[in-house]
Amino acid sequence: MTATLTAPAAAPPSPAGPRRKRRTLSPTLLAFVLVPLLVESLWVFWPAIQGVYLSFTSWDGVSPPTMVGFGNYAELFSDPTFGKAFLDTVLWLVLFGGLSAVGGLAMAMLLLKDRRGVGFYRAALFTPVVFSLVATALIWQAIYQPNGLVNTVLGAIGLDSWQHSWLSDANTALYAVIVPALWRQIGYIMVLYLAGLKGIDPTLYEAATVDGATKWQQFTKITLPQLSSVNSVVLSVIIIDSLRSFDVVWALTRGGPYHSSELLSTYMYSTAFQSLRLGYASALAVVIFVLAFGVILTYLVRAFRDADA
Amino acid sequence: MTTTGLSRRSFLAGLGAVGAATALGGCVTSTGSQATAGGSATGPVTLQSNLSAPSAKAAMQALVDSFNKKGATQASLNTVASETFRTQLPTYLTSANPPDVLTWYAGSVARSYADKNLLLDVSEVWTGLSGYSDALKQLSTDSGKQIFIPASYYFWGMFYRKSNFAKWGVTAPTTWAEFLQVCETIKGKGVTPIGLGADNSTPWVASGWFDYLNIRVNGANYHRELLAGKHSFADPQVHKVFDQWKTALPYFDPKGTALSFQDATTNLLQGRTGMMLIGTFLLDTTPKEDVDDIDFFRFPIVDPTMPLVEEAPTDGFYASAHTQRKPHTLEFLKYLTTAEAQEAYLKSSAGSSLPANSTAKDAGTPLITKGKEMLTKAADLTQFFNRDSSDALQPTADAALIKFIQHPEQIDSILTDWQSAAKKVWTS
Repeated sequence: MTATLTAPAAAPPSPAGPRRKRRTLSPTLLAFVLVPLLVESLWVFWPAIQGVYLSFTSWDGVSPPTMVGFGNYAELFSDPTFGKAFLDTVLWLVLFGGLSAVGGLAMAMLLLKDRRGVGFYRAALFTPVVFSLVATALIWQAIYQPNGLVNTVLGAIGLDSWQHSWLSDANTALYAVIVPALWRQIGYIMVLYLAGLKGIDPTLYEAATVDGATKWQQFTKITLPQLSSVNSVVLSVIIIDSLRSFDVVWALTRGGPYHSSELLSTYMYSTAFQSLRLGYASALAVVIFVLAFGVILTYLVRAFRDADA
Repeated sequence: MTTTGLSRRSFLAGLGAVGAATALGGCVTSTGSQATAGGSATGPVTLQSNLSAPSAKAAMQALVDSFNKKGATQASLNTVASETFRTQLPTYLTSANPPDVLTWYAGSVARSYADKNLLLDVSEVWTGLSGYSDALKQLSTDSGKQIFIPASYYFWGMFYRKSNFAKWGVTAPTTWAEFLQVCETIKGKGVTPIGLGADNSTPWVASGWFDYLNIRVNGANYHRELLAGKHSFADPQVHKVFDQWKTALPYFDPKGTALSFQDATTNLLQGRTGMMLIGTFLLDTTPKEDVDDIDFFRFPIVDPTMPLVEEAPTDGFYASAHTQRKPHTLEFLKYLTTAEAQEAYLKSSAGSSLPANSTAKDAGTPLITKGKEMLTKAADLTQFFNRDSSDALQPTADAALIKFIQHPEQIDSILTDWQSAAKKVWTS
């Protein structure tokens, strides 16, 4: 199946010469862009900017706020829980992000050919994406119970020593929570990669086979370079989803036991709504934003520079 | 494509203007026009309730219905999920059109809002009120005026199944030494002596142990002062509490921190554990045929010279200071103090709590009567950890106590960490 990518209808080229014609925008286009932008500005951007303002205050939600300048940020550096949450978030980014990218690509490669029944497998892998993360978490909580599915299976196959209280053991809590998040994310990344893979011209593979390239060489020399634009999308999605991972962690462990599975997002939530320190929580939110923005920006800048080269 | 005269440059300029306007960050913390109480607004008295459990919600509705039948003043109930209620409570109280009456708990959690002048002075409801003990009035007072109307309270104790105790040949202990002896006997029968349900969703159950051990070892005054920030968690007195706890730790359920208290209750009822320190709310989920088999004993006495103090968390109502319907609100609150109202509520609920008005009839079961007697004879009554301190301090306790239960050998570092976390809560 050849990909049919249609470039958007280009605007008529401006007439040659020194006369500069102003590029105009049709009102329909304006409406389609402005209305969501307005909604986003009011409900997302403005509160986000207010969050930056709040990060310079100390506020409990009831009394008037007091300005503390960079006091919240200074406190972040000496806060051991912040350090733990930061490391956990990096671990989450690497494990959750890395495994979902690799797993998603592997699944996409596996389910690329339109064989009989492949649609069923694709749908099965994608279905967890559709479930609410809280519902997913509740099911996995039952699975991870001391006498739940995981421990029962381990006992049945004779691995009694591997049984743990998965969600309340400090050593296993974080990794136990990554599994349901990964279970969901792989399906999502798989769909992104499927779309990208389908866009690769199959004549490239035919040419490579003629030249005698192995499957692995085809993968590294054709597939991966062709997927570079999809990779930038996947990376952004992974980073944003990793840093936003809150529902599944909160529903399963609330960041516990004693901060063992604390992520920056859960720490921000508990600081804001349990400890009622909204200024400090806003500082955490700013840190999360800078982290996400910084990583994505570095990658995009490098990707565009490579593309131009 | 027709030209509309709108160039990209002016479009971007407009966008920039919108962006600049959004930089008005200061608006986020303004709490709206503060209307003073007394303005007469029409409409029913609004009761905002966080009792979202089905039986409690039905009981609240029965209470409101019985008030509405009495006269012209009407009340309406609005139930909100308890976690949402807790996080939204500051917003409710500071809004310009707040709910008139709200359910909440007594203790410093109410006083902290009263100190910010967010609660209505209901002293006139308390004048001439009979049937309420001085302890309850003291609990509802902040800076000389009453701000809280108690409705019900319940108690904590070591709950067990009478039939199981008889089967194992043990009787309810009174002192700590007897308690450890009972644990040893039960352990010998192959049953986990002490159950616990303090997993990630209900870690506050462990605070019951801390509270009781603290009031048994150090007394109620030290306990309240500690929770108010007047003592350090790294003090030797607090260490003594944990040393005492360590002697009972070997008898705890090793999976206690992986189960919610509902699952732990099931374990208790099915005889997999011997006893559990929990509140009477466990009766809410106990099957009817097992309720009569449940009994409790008072938390064991550690120091016989210490006066006997018990935990009796009190639930009730308070009114917003900015209410627009002050006379009707006070009328509704007056009704809530009557025995009739409290009986109407208790009748529809599971009957595991005691009415605050001593003339009102409670469930009357031997268990409830025994608990009531224990509380009446107590030298002093504390609330619960988060009610005596604040919701903000509870997570620090959860982290410290769960870590202690799993790693008791790290007690010193646990206590220093707890103190630094608590300090941040008190100084913020």
